[in-house]
Amino acid sequence: MNKGFSIDCIGYAMFAVFILLVMPWMVDYSGYELNTYARYLALGMAAAALALSWGTAGLLNLGQALTFGIGAYIMAMHLKLKASASQAGGLPDFMVWTNMEELPWFWEPFHSVGITLAAGVLVPVGIAGLIGGFMFRGRITGVFVAIITLSLMLAVQLWMIAEQQFTGGQNGLTGLASLELFGWSVDIYTVAFYYLVAGCLMVILTLALLLVRSKAGLVLRAIKADPERVRFFGYDVARYEVLAFSISAGIAGVAGMFYAMVLEFASPTYMGLSLSLAFVIWAAVGGRESIVAATLGGIGVNMAEGRLSDLFFDQWTLILGVIFIVVVLFLPRGLFGLVMDFREKLEDFYRNKTTASTASAMESNPVSAIDQGGDK
Amino acid sequence: MGSLLNEIFIGLSLTSILLMIALGLAIIYGAMGVINLAHGQFVMVGAYIAWFLQSQFGFNVIVGLPLTFISGALLGLLLERTIIQRLYQRPLDTILATWGIGIVLEQLVRTFLGPDSRYVGRPDFLDGNLVIGDIHMSYYRLFIIAFSILILFATWYLLYRTEFGAKLRAVIQNKEISECYGISSNKMYAMTFAYGAGLAAVAGSLITPFVSVTPTMGTELVVDAFLVVIVGGVGSIAGTAASALMIGEATAWLSYWFNDTTGRILILIGVIVLIRFRPQGLFPDTVRR
Repeated sequence: MNKGFSIDCIGYAMFAVFILLVMPWMVDYSGYELNTYARYLALGMAAAALALSWGTAGLLNLGQALTFGIGAYIMAMHLKLKASASQAGGLPDFMVWTNMEELPWFWEPFHSVGITLAAGVLVPVGIAGLIGGFMFRGRITGVFVAIITLSLMLAVQLWMIAEQQFTGGQNGLTGLASLELFGWSVDIYTVAFYYLVAGCLMVILTLALLLVRSKAGLVLRAIKADPERVRFFGYDVARYEVLAFSISAGIAGVAGMFYAMVLEFASPTYMGLSLSLAFVIWAAVGGRESIVAATLGGIGVNMAEGRLSDLFFDQWTLILGVIFIVVVLFLPRGLFGLVMDFREKLEDFYRNKTTASTASAMESNPVSAIDQGGDK
Repeated sequence: MGSLLNEIFIGLSLTSILLMIALGLAIIYGAMGVINLAHGQFVMVGAYIAWFLQSQFGFNVIVGLPLTFISGALLGLLLERTIIQRLYQRPLDTILATWGIGIVLEQLVRTFLGPDSRYVGRPDFLDGNLVIGDIHMSYYRLFIIAFSILILFATWYLLYRTEFGAKLRAVIQNKEISECYGISSNKMYAMTFAYGAGLAAVAGSLITPFVSVTPTMGTELVVDAFLVVIVGGVGSIAGTAASALMIGEATAWLSYWFNDTTGRILILIGVIVLIRFRPQGLFPDTVRR
């Protein structure tokens, strides 16, 4: 078992304690405050999704917000339909304003909760599978992956803004109802909702860790180090890359669904350049090599933003930019790298100490020390 | 017929702006593999310098050009010495660090100058249109087209006909051996980065009569310019020029046939397909590497 994985497990346990016990305790189980924390968890999930493709397989996806935004829009479409049920023809208000006669066909399925929840994961996975297959079959790597994903995201965002009668345009989808799951009307200002988000995050992180630990995870890490060599071993590199890319998109879709629920609207900024690069910043600050660290990066940066932006107002952006430059320059592996370095130093320290004590034992009583060695 | 020629002219004018922004980016990317996402913010800084010179001293855009170039270059030099030079071994990390630099520059401008739009007028002596038949060509746009060709030529001359260019090309081909011959690669990189940043600032000041100057104006520009560089092929000045012409004209035509948004979406999709099948760009500089 590699060292990173055992660290991840300890980190995972501590992380579980943190988000399940410490965070709710910090705000005294106040449902209102926990709503904000649920938002941080959703964003942390998006950072985890990015870390899965970027940190594990080395595919820098600058368009991660695309799949995040699609998840958010899918959830918002369902909730919007629910809110508009009383309207004439069940038509959302913005469609009435833009003189739409009836609901477009691709809105129809989202009357159903089940289809919505499934689509929130499967549509991002499908899109990522298509674009991933398109890119990776052509052995596109590095910067070019970043450019293609970025361009695709911008193209979709432009379409979303332009087609106001279908998507609500620049305003997005507002005035949403609350989700109803198996007869439980989800109130986003309750402790229960926080635990729903936290529970999903834990499940997703567990699955992601299992993936990283599996043979597929090993192949992905090998691809990150040297794709050409992995190809020479006979592995289908593109298939593994598409796998990582699609799973990452699915996680981002779930994160987007929660994000739309927490904020009670979906807007084109969810698939914008700034948010997409913010994901990258969070994952880099936490440590892209570890999914848990990246999640913590997402939660931590947003928490700090929540606390410090009251103090510094707009200057927070400035501070974030400076922090980011410093992390890239001096901590290329993020805070996770710092922890790993510390652990290595600690190990070296103890190893030296034990060898030193053996050596001194040898000096003081060479015969018995050798005898002991011989007994083994 | 008239509308057709008008579209060609608008395309040319878009091309010239794209070219000026992309040229600095292409040189920086070609010479040291740094993907400078802060380039759009350099353009923004150039636009603010033009605004400052006009509002404080009454300099028009063209009179202010040398000052704008020098200030942009100094800014680039400062950033290269403090941050960029530590990242030459890690090209993907340059995306991240320069994005951070972009955030900081944008926020600094917003803090000290405010988020409001600023307006810069075009120089008085370039007011008016040149009318040939049905085609209306504003003198200022004509000036920009001519100026971008001039910059293109100057950059080519700098890289291929001066001692500086020879040294820089030597460093690009083989850094270690060049250093053995006494060329300081650090100095070459710093000067190249400064030149690229200066070009960005000049581009920023020249586009001020078309756009309102805001702290956020850089982000969209850098994406377009970057697409131009990638499509053109790394390290090729002619490629950058050709791809700026292609993208500029295509944008004008597609916007004319459909609308602005559809035009842009089609361009983005075209670029995606192109990168997929020709990641080395349309006109890669095969001699260099």
